[in-house]
Amino acid sequence: MTDILMHLTTDEIELWAQGLLPAARAIHLADCSLCRVEADRERKVILELVQLPKFAPSAGFADRVMAQVKVHAPSGDWTG
Amino acid sequence: MFSLLYRMVRDRALAEDLAQETFIKVLNGIKSYRPEFKFSSWIFKIANNAAIDHLRRKSIDTLSLDGAPSAETPEQMRATSLQLGDRTESPLDEALNRELGTAIERAIARLRPEYRSCILLRHVEGYSYEEIADTLDLPLGTVKTYIHRARNELRGYLEDRRD
Repeated sequence: MTDILMHLTTDEIELWAQGLLPAARAIHLADCSLCRVEADRERKVILELVQLPKFAPSAGFADRVMAQVKVHAPSGDWTG
Repeated sequence: MFSLLYRMVRDRALAEDLAQETFIKVLNGIKSYRPEFKFSSWIFKIANNAAIDHLRRKSIDTLSLDGAPSAETPEQMRATSLQLGDRTESPLDEALNRELGTAIERAIARLRPEYRSCILLRHVEGYSYEEIADTLDLPLGTVKTYIHRARNELRGYLEDRRD
């Protein structure tokens, strides 16, 4: 089968959702209603995922971590 | 990294404990870091291992939203999931619902932990498939399979919600 006839793979649908689908495959997508439905469904999920917020730990987290880290003293006596 | 842990265990205090454990391991074990490995991937690897170990120990992923461990399809999970019934929300529940209560967050919570790590690293942290494979010590093909299955399951959960 040629590039124009083959249905899109899941990898290609992900590329399409990122705007990276090669032109030859985009032609198939434009003409294939099955692939368009599948691609639209996949894009909706990917969009929801990439828009998820980032969370941060509560205030004082870094201090709590550093309080538990062993800080090794320099081995040499630099004061001479 | 904290976001990954929080979404893995769905408990803020526990996620902070695991994040603290991760940073302490990183800072105390810095000598074992291999520079050919991306530093952030090394941190994610330690964090993910901590989360997966915790989930395995406590099996909390099967207690709240998922069904029986043997359930493999969304239908089986629904059929075997716990029914919580009406109850008064504590302030902690309210915070969880506010932060992780959206449909997509609930759907992510229903994924098995291995799928959850992969899909979060791919689409929330923006890792490539290869980076995920390195970070999680998984073959590239397995990472692709997990991500495709995870997206499929998410689509199923989200479309069920819309029906």
